[in-house]
Amino acid sequence: MLNEKKNKLFLRIFIGLVFLVMATAQYLIFLWVPEEKTLGVVQKIFYFHVGAAWVAFFAFFIVFVFSILYLATQERRWDRVSAASAEIGTVFTTIVLVTGPIWAKSSWNTWWTWEPRLTTSLILWFIYLAYILIRISAGDVERKAKLAAVFGIIGFLDVPVVFYAVNWWSVSHPMLFGQGKMNLASDMLLTLQVTVAAFTLLYFYLLEKGIAVFRMQDEVNKIKDRLREITD
Amino acid sequence: MNLKKVYWIIWKDIMLEIRAKETIGTMLIFTFLVLVIFAFSFLQPGNRVSSEIIPGIIWVTIAFTGMLGLNRSFLPEKNNDCILGLALAPVEKSMIYFGKVAVNFIFLAGVELLSFPLMAVFFNFRIQGPLLYFILVLLLGTVGFSGTGVFLAALSANTRTSEILLPVVLFPIWIPLILGAVKASGLVLAGRLSDPLWVQSFWSWVRLLAVYDVIFFAVSFMLFDYVLEV
Amino acid sequence: MKYLFWAYTLTWALIFAYTLVLGSREKKLLREVNFLKQAVNDNDFNNFQEY
Repeated sequence: MLNEKKNKLFLRIFIGLVFLVMATAQYLIFLWVPEEKTLGVVQKIFYFHVGAAWVAFFAFFIVFVFSILYLATQERRWDRVSAASAEIGTVFTTIVLVTGPIWAKSSWNTWWTWEPRLTTSLILWFIYLAYILIRISAGDVERKAKLAAVFGIIGFLDVPVVFYAVNWWSVSHPMLFGQGKMNLASDMLLTLQVTVAAFTLLYFYLLEKGIAVFRMQDEVNKIKDRLREITD
Repeated sequence: MNLKKVYWIIWKDIMLEIRAKETIGTMLIFTFLVLVIFAFSFLQPGNRVSSEIIPGIIWVTIAFTGMLGLNRSFLPEKNNDCILGLALAPVEKSMIYFGKVAVNFIFLAGVELLSFPLMAVFFNFRIQGPLLYFILVLLLGTVGFSGTGVFLAALSANTRTSEILLPVVLFPIWIPLILGAVKASGLVLAGRLSDPLWVQSFWSWVRLLAVYDVIFFAVSFMLFDYVLEV
Repeated sequence: MKYLFWAYTLTWALIFAYTLVLGSREKKLLREVNFLKQAVNDNDFNNFQEY
């Protein structure tokens, strides 16, 4: 009981921290950091675009690690981590794919460019969706976990190969626009770092929440099975 | 590695195909149909089709046809629980994987062999680079297609929506392979061997295909136990 | 400015929507737990069978 209370307190503090860092990031982005000279105010999209991209890749890395752990140990709790992380990753990849074109439109006047990183994000998004579809259509719990874990590993290994392929592809067809590389001034770098930190904390908060929901689902299923046994 | 066991798996599937004559014929007809549809969409009668889209046509056709074959490699085994028998047979599961990949490769290569003359006639193209290079690209591409394809076909055969799930799961994984194969075969079709830049970019694509094949063969080989176990 | 506004709004809308989804899932599960608890307390297993 005491432990539970402690956990709850810890969670509260953590949520507070997430809010604090998020607010700081917003403050830095909108009020503190100076505008980029050539791109203007639109350049501020960059901060949460990159932040979301970082979380998306990180989330998929977590899926990969915990998929291996699950296959090695066959323990349900590792599978719950992968499941929750994959969902959050999908959300953040969607954010990347929404903010990317908006930025492209504003600075290059075209919605989509086949820029290697953006294209890789798109493929990553497809892989995530396939992962979730496998989970939806796999049937019973254990099979779901096993098939999803296998795909989590294969899908993650696919991402760097996709990146290299797309990179070569765009090198052999030189692009009209630059790669969007900017020399980051130190205050911009700081803002970016704080934003990335904020998004990472948000990720962990959502992860904790997602895992808790999945755990609850598992427990409810267990109780139901138990009740069925009794009533039969 | 026990080649004899792999051989028996291959023998079983080929024998089934010879007796039932279901898969290869259908794949072949489907390929022809896809080619005709491509001709309608890209050709203007009297004009030559631009050579830039030929590799795309080739590989999209192979990918679609391969999908047909892959759906047939595990789903029929679910009838009468054949897949359970297969899993219980005194054969390592990875040998089953190799056998199935080999069978798929043979089917797909057969279809390619039979449909390429037709392609050349329909679209009136010539391979300007060395034919051997073209065969190399075709080989690496088809091996990669069968390798990841069989693995993910086994995976999706275990789900409720297997046939419609397979393409959604498979195409994202195939993307680097398709990209590499299209670019490499495009370079061979346009072929200028004297140009060092050409040679360099051709081999870098071939290297990508080879790396892809090795990585995914190794991973599928290691994980196949889990896919068949469920 | 318009672009920045939309990028920002959509980002937050997505994050917010996902939190809502998680919350609603949690709520649904809690409801189920309560239902199960009641079923056990009342020894009303017939009801459960239908459920």
